[in-house]
Formats: sequence, C-alpha cells, structure tokens
Amino acid sequence: MLGRPSRRSVLAATAAVPLAGALSACSGSSDSSLRSTGKTTRVTFWSALRGSQEVVDAFNKTHDHIQVDFQQIPSGTQGGYAKLSNAARAGNAPDVATIEYPQIPGFAIDGVARDITDLVSDRLRRKLLPQALGLTTFEGRVYSVPLDVEPMVMHYRTDLFDRYGLHVPQTWDEFAELARTVHRKASGRRLVLFPTDGGTQFAGYSWQAGAQWFDTGKGAWNVSLADAPTRRVATYWQRLIDRDDVFMNAVESRQFDAQVAEGLVLTRLSGAWEAGAQMRKVPAQKGQWRIAPLPQWDTGRPSVGTHGGSTFAITKDCRVPEAAMEFIEWQVSHPDSLRARLSSGTSSQYPAATALIAVGREAFDRSYYGGQDIYTLFQQEADKIRDSWVWGPRMTATLRVMQDNFARASGGQGSLIDSVRAAQDGTMPDLKALGLSTTQHST
Amino acid sequence: MTATTQSSVPATAPRTAAPASDTRARKAARRRQLAACGVLMTPFFALLVTVFLIPVGTAVYLSFFSDDQPGLGFGPERSVFVGLRSYTAVLTDPTFLGGLGTVALYCLIYIPLMVVGALALALLLDSGVVRLRAWAQLGLFLPHAVPGIIAALIWLYLYTPGISPIIDLFAHADITIDFLGVHTVIPSIVNIALWSNLGYNMVVFYAALQAVPREVIEASVVDGAGPVRTALQVKTPLVRASIVMVAMFTLIWALQLFTEPVLLSQSSPMISSRFSPSMYIYDAAFTRNNYSLAAAASVILLLFTIALSYGVTRWTSRADAQEAR
Repeated sequence: MLGRPSRRSVLAATAAVPLAGALSACSGSSDSSLRSTGKTTRVTFWSALRGSQEVVDAFNKTHDHIQVDFQQIPSGTQGGYAKLSNAARAGNAPDVATIEYPQIPGFAIDGVARDITDLVSDRLRRKLLPQALGLTTFEGRVYSVPLDVEPMVMHYRTDLFDRYGLHVPQTWDEFAELARTVHRKASGRRLVLFPTDGGTQFAGYSWQAGAQWFDTGKGAWNVSLADAPTRRVATYWQRLIDRDDVFMNAVESRQFDAQVAEGLVLTRLSGAWEAGAQMRKVPAQKGQWRIAPLPQWDTGRPSVGTHGGSTFAITKDCRVPEAAMEFIEWQVSHPDSLRARLSSGTSSQYPAATALIAVGREAFDRSYYGGQDIYTLFQQEADKIRDSWVWGPRMTATLRVMQDNFARASGGQGSLIDSVRAAQDGTMPDLKALGLSTTQHST
Repeated sequence: MTATTQSSVPATAPRTAAPASDTRARKAARRRQLAACGVLMTPFFALLVTVFLIPVGTAVYLSFFSDDQPGLGFGPERSVFVGLRSYTAVLTDPTFLGGLGTVALYCLIYIPLMVVGALALALLLDSGVVRLRAWAQLGLFLPHAVPGIIAALIWLYLYTPGISPIIDLFAHADITIDFLGVHTVIPSIVNIALWSNLGYNMVVFYAALQAVPREVIEASVVDGAGPVRTALQVKTPLVRASIVMVAMFTLIWALQLFTEPVLLSQSSPMISSRFSPSMYIYDAAFTRNNYSLAAAASVILLLFTIALSYGVTRWTSRADAQEAR
C-alpha cells in the first residue's frame, strides 16, 4: 500500500504527454505550481465506492507531487461510518473520506468533516450542480464536495412490460393502476417492491412530493418528518401494500435478489447508480431493462428526489488540506477520473460536475440497456431535483428507526405513517442530547 | 454449595494459631495471615478497580458532559457540563423505554421457565428416577460450555427460513412456522437462553439438593410422603437460598440481553437496532456517535439492575425472617 515504485513517476511523465490534450488548462497550471516544491505529498483516502482503486491509480499515474494511498472500507451502514467515527475519535482519520449525503450533517456536527469553504475554488463551485452543493452546505459553509448526484428514476423490465401490454406510467396514479393490473394479470409477479429497509427510498419519494423533513431556517433544527407531503406519500404506498399490489420485504436480501432474478418484480425505483449495480449483479438480464423517469404527482411541475450519491470530505485530522482538495477536485471533475471509474464496469454514477456528463455518456457501455442513452435521461432528471432538501443531523439512526418500524408494519403491526412518526420520536432525544436547538412540526 | 464455601477458608486459621501460646508467635501468625490476605485479595481488587470502578466512573463522567456547539451544531465544539440533559433524553426516548419493555417481557417469560425447569430437572436427577445420571447431567450441562455467540449462531441457522432443517421438516407436515416473526422472536430468544443456561443452573440446584440431610428425607418417607410430595414440600424449601441466587443471577444476566438479539437481527428485521437497553447503548455509541447519551443509558441500566437486585434480596430476606419467626 505504502511506497509506490519510484519508476511510477517516470511512467507518469510519459503517460502525461498523450493525456495533455484532455487535461484542462486550469488543473495543469495548479499541477506545475505545486510540483515546483519538488516534494511528494501523501494523501490517505478511504472509500467504499466501487472503482475507487481504478480512479486512484489513474490519479497517481498522472501526478507525481501528490500520491494517494487508498483503502477500501466497508460501506457506511456495514461499519464504514463507525470505522470513520472511531478513527476520528482516536485522531487518525484519513485525509479524505467518502460520505454519503444523508450523513454529511452528522459528520460535520461531530467535527469529523472539516469546514472546507475556503478550499473550494470558485472554478470548482461553478462545475458542480447547485442542488448537489446545496446538500453539503450548511449556514453558508461547505463541508464536503459532491462526487455524484443520483436522481431517482424508474428501472423497468421492458420485455415483461411488452408481454403484458403495459405502458410506462407518467404519474403516480397511473403507477398505482399499473400495480393493480400487474397483480391481476400476472400471478406471482408485482410491479414494484416497497422496501422495508428502504428509508432512503421513502425519503426520496417524500422529497419529490415536496416534504421538508429537516429545516435549518431559524437557527434551529426544525423536524417535521410527518408533514403533509410525507403523509400523502405514506397513504399512497399504504394503499398499495394493503391491496397486496406490491411486494413488501427488504431490498438488501436474498429474497429480493430472487425476485429480480426470477423476473417477479417489474420495476425498481432507485438512483441512477442502480443501472451499474444491476449490470454487475444480474448480467443474464442484459437487454431486458430500460430506464424511465420516475412517475410524477403533477406533470405540470415535475420534480424528483435523489437516492444515493456520495461526497468527499476532508477530515479534521488532515495535515495536507490543499493536496487533499486537489485530489478531490480531480476526482470529481476530471474526465479521466470518471473514465477510470466507469471502466470498472460496475458503475453508472451520474457526476455532480455537469461537464462530465458527456464523458459518462460516451464511456458507459450501453449494451445492457439495449442502447438506451441513459445519461441523457439522467441529465433531464437531475435538473428536476427539488432543491432546499436538508438531511438531518443523525440520519443513519433516524432512517434505521423508520426501517425497524417498516419491518414491523410488514408483519402487520403499525402503518407507514406510524413508522415515520416513530422515527421522529426516536430522533428528537438524540438531537437534544447533542445539545442542538430543535423545534418540531407535524404539518 | 454454602456448606463447602464456609468450611474451606477459615477452618485452617485457628488450627495454626492455637498451638502457639506466646504472643509473639501469635502476632507473627497474624501478620502472615494479613499478608496472605493481601496477596490473595489484591488481584480481585485490582480487577474490580480496572474493569468495573474505572469504567463506571468514566461512564458517569461522560454522561454529564458533552461536546457542544449551540444552535445547529456546526463549527468548533467544546466540552461542557450538561447536567442531567442526557438522562432526560434517554428517559424521554420511546425507543429506550420500548427496549426496557422488551426486556421486562423477556424476563417474565424467561426467569420462571428457567428456575422451574432447572429445579424440576435437578429434583428428577436427585430422586434417582433418571438412569445414567452422569450422562444426563453431562448432556444437559454441555450447552453451557458453548459460548453465547456460537449458541446464537447455531440457533440462527435453525431459525432462518430456507436453510433451517427444522422449518423444512415442519413444511413437510404442511406447518408454516416463522421463528423470527413479530410475536415469536422473544420466545425464540428465550429458547436460546434456556438451552444455554438450563444445565448450569440445574447443576447448582443439584449440588444444593445433595447437601440436604438424608435423615430429613428418610423422616418424610417414614411419615408417608410420596416422591412428589418429598420433592415439592421437603426438598424445595430446603434449597430456597439457591433458588433465590439463581433467580437473581438470571435476572441480572437477562437485563443485559445483547448477544442473541444482535445475531438474530441479521436474519430478522423484527429485531430493531434498539431492541434491548444494551443494544440501545451500543447503537447510541456506535451508530449515533452520541457518547453522553450512551453513557447516561448505561448508568440508568446499572442503577435499574442494582435496584432490582436489591429489591429481590430485601424481599427474600424479609420472607426468611418471617419464616424464622
């Protein structure tokens, strides 16, 4: 891991020549300014993202004044976040850490992710989708740099849609009717899964419908998980569940893997990244999937929420923040970075740096989706992302309480809206114990 | 049980001191005795301080302090005294109170089953009804030698649909059984705990029954008591002290319920991340990164356990005193 071969720099110099055309003029100039010191800065980097090793290799190949030491860690809920928290507590967090959007406020409040407002150049700021940067900015201070932003989309089985004569739904009402039809026409199959472990999916639905679970408006955390738009979403799904028109089980489960593999579930509502994950997981279904926009409540004023997406934070323990930021900037905005990640064949991330969309469109292997230009679709959907959404200070825990109750609801105890209320009740003591100013709303 | 512990240590002391009549020898003996005491007790106190008192002290300290930054919480933090804020938060947290409720239900099912089951087995063994007594004892005790985490893994395998041979067997008989459902999950955990600890507590009762004077039993037989009556009305009252002790240890152990539900939660979404108070504490510290909250919950659980054990002791000693009168 440590000590890359010294001839790497020689290779890098030769490799850099043909790449020079692709490099933007700006990053080229900043390279040379730092290179003049003649010393190699080492940056440590932790991530659970697939394809990170390829990206780091590409970076190290083209940079000799900064070398990145990468460590693959478990995904956040599988222990990655606990690892990061504990490392920060012990004072040896990596220089750069990968944090998903919902967890940024928590890590910022705990002081793990440092305030990087002054390190984020205007040039980088301009490259990023404003809604994405908005999710990493609190009280005007930036705590993390978005890598990808993942509008929620509808992945669907085009072959099964054709077999049963179904049309892609534009609105949620059509979607509900379709769920009914599938239930009636195709025994054993369902249109979609309501995931009992899908707090982030439910957040995405609520986000789209206009919910505002957290609001930092008046200098306090205003918590209103069960607001009117969320209640509307909960009622909608509750009806589908009560009619048995949808599956209700965990998405991270062998059961759901089987539902997908056997073609029992016709659509998946999730982030754009799922396209790559699907390709990796079920290569046999090549050509059977397509992607469409998420159904809308009001087609006149379309909006979507996001599902997934990651950011890079510089931790409090970092001693080389400038070098760390240079690596982050390269990683989120350089074409080679996205190419390297997509080359792993398991990613379909939608970059937060809008200039990279063209790169993604060209580098992504479309054959699995029957040649569909999914990046153009993602771009249309990303523009619909409703801004002003704010994640809460203890989102992992909030979502987990919600999911614990979703699971009970699937066993016949309680309802979706009860689960949302339970999540709020289980979150407030936490925030109070952290010493945060809080208010609660239920409208 | 009690008889053996009383006789072993003090019995040797008077024997060595008695023959020496002059005070100097007695003083030397006393000094030696104190030195021996010191040597023998030091490891205990050293461990008590390092693995109990210091952690408890740290938890109490942590529960009263917090890294704070008022308002939204962004920006530099400093450690401040927060009084009972964390305690209020824990006690107003429905998920913590829910965890206490779960454990209370668990205790209500588990403790009576454990005590009655272990006692019944011990009485059966003691009565001589059971053939191959040594084998029966070994067979019942063996599960206790299996570490809790391994036991939970074994049962996890037996409970999980799709891989469990038991569920398959029931399925052949057209019986669908879900060991990890909303209503079955607590009984399933009770079952694991019973399997692990029944044999151990049975041995405790059996040892106590062995200490019951045989004349008493013979007398009851002569008076015409059958085997059941001898067991219930003669033997059982004589091992009361052991019953109280087993009940209390089981209670303390049950209040700390952690390993089994954590492992079963891998297979069952019905076990929430804050299922029991111990899991709440773990979740508060390592998922929510809220150490003062975790510390406050730990102190509350500790006080709760102490209060309950004290209550049980007081209640039984009062009952004993009444009986003696």
